[in-house]
Amino acid sequence: MSQSNDKQTFDPFDPTGMLKQMRDSNMETWSKVMTEFVNTEAYAESTGAMLDAWLTTSGPFRKAMESSMGQAMAQMNMPTRDDITRLAERLTNIEMRLDDLDARLSEGAQSNNTQTTN
Amino acid sequence: MTTKESTPAVDAGMPSFSDVCEGWHRAAENLDRFNRMLTTDAKIAQTPKEVVWTLNKAKLYHYIPVVPEQDRKPVPLFMVFAIMNRPHVLDLRPGHSFVEYMLRHGYELYLMDWGEPGPEDKNMCFDDYTLEYLPRAIRKFKSISGAEEFSMLGWCLGALISTMYAALRPDDGLKNLMLLTAPLDFSDQEAGGFTRWSSNPAFNANTIVEKLGNVPGEMIDSGAKMLKPIENYFGSYSMLWDKIENPGTVEAWHAMNTWVRDIIPMAGAAYKQLINELYKENKLVKGTLQLRGETVDLKKLKANLFNVIAEADHITPPCQSESIMDLVGSEDKELFRVRGGHIGIMAGRGAEKNTWPHMESWLSARSGG
Repeated sequence: MSQSNDKQTFDPFDPTGMLKQMRDSNMETWSKVMTEFVNTEAYAESTGAMLDAWLTTSGPFRKAMESSMGQAMAQMNMPTRDDITRLAERLTNIEMRLDDLDARLSEGAQSNNTQTTN
Repeated sequence: MTTKESTPAVDAGMPSFSDVCEGWHRAAENLDRFNRMLTTDAKIAQTPKEVVWTLNKAKLYHYIPVVPEQDRKPVPLFMVFAIMNRPHVLDLRPGHSFVEYMLRHGYELYLMDWGEPGPEDKNMCFDDYTLEYLPRAIRKFKSISGAEEFSMLGWCLGALISTMYAALRPDDGLKNLMLLTAPLDFSDQEAGGFTRWSSNPAFNANTIVEKLGNVPGEMIDSGAKMLKPIENYFGSYSMLWDKIENPGTVEAWHAMNTWVRDIIPMAGAAYKQLINELYKENKLVKGTLQLRGETVDLKKLKANLFNVIAEADHITPPCQSESIMDLVGSEDKELFRVRGGHIGIMAGRGAEKNTWPHMESWLSARSGG
């Protein structure tokens, strides 16, 4: 929203005017610094370690939650997430077979048509 | 509305009361517009299309042609996008869409949308994408179009899948292969943030997949954004604010942001394979990558090849795409460099001038009967 001729003066209508001036003078430097930083070994190592720590600490909670949900669903005679997942996997396999059958039928129909025309 | 009948004091720099009111009103309107841009979705992927095939979450779209049948190219173009993003960026918005552009030039267009993997798809790997889904989709569009030969366009991980397919099934009718920002060669372990991060021993893809199943879209998205944190977390929004009164720029930003925000997870097994076998072990280029027990031999890739590289690509640095030129068996091959980033070269403002015409003219010369 700020116009280029506003650069030297304070614009009371532009709430980000001052921020913009700061940005214009510093962003390129910041960008360079940050891009270099995320490309360091130290960053890679700390990110990897943090991710690992998060996965390790949250793992037991997730497992406990899944297990208790599984038990609750079983008590109510409802399928669990694992049941649905297994069913979906089977459906995909069936879909693949149907796809192959469909392709064969189309091929058969096409060759029949060709023979009829000949 | 600015009043020109102002007092000398006002002319000297003091705004009039009406100027102040108008200014604050404009600022409020701009803030409202800014907020809307961040919290609403633009209408993207508007080009008319039909679903012609589905398998699990994957869909094959056929775009409705816009030129008469006699003016259409006889070799259809099949587009394959990455597996961890929606493919809508190929058809971003009316008036600025690669799909529209190619339809206008008489191509019969098909698009593979891999869909959003669910927990049941956590075991899906590149073997499945390349040798189960892709050949089936190709079989389908070949039967619909009646064409024996086709062209394929792969972008990002879609380019990786397309390359593997082209090398494993060189006799399936693939005539032309166009690769866009293809991550294929990871021999330089210091090129790009992703390679650096994933090659660090502290980063363990197996643990991520074991604990989470599929890799959450948010994790992939934040990883990509952290490659250029200032630009992605601050620069993009401040640019929007700067141009908030420019409808064209705002519309373009809104469409792109809508696509960027629509994140999807990545199938766990594919992620593990990508990090371990490709990023870390560089098996594709070494010639040791196996899919379903078949070795992917790039020398067997015979299709005409057009390899597009984004010079400022921080996701797939140019060195990850260039070396394939010497490894493939294609006789007709061309490397094309474009100034721009990973997405910008195809969806940015300059795409219609700098990228699309070159791709189209290369393909057009090879899309005859």
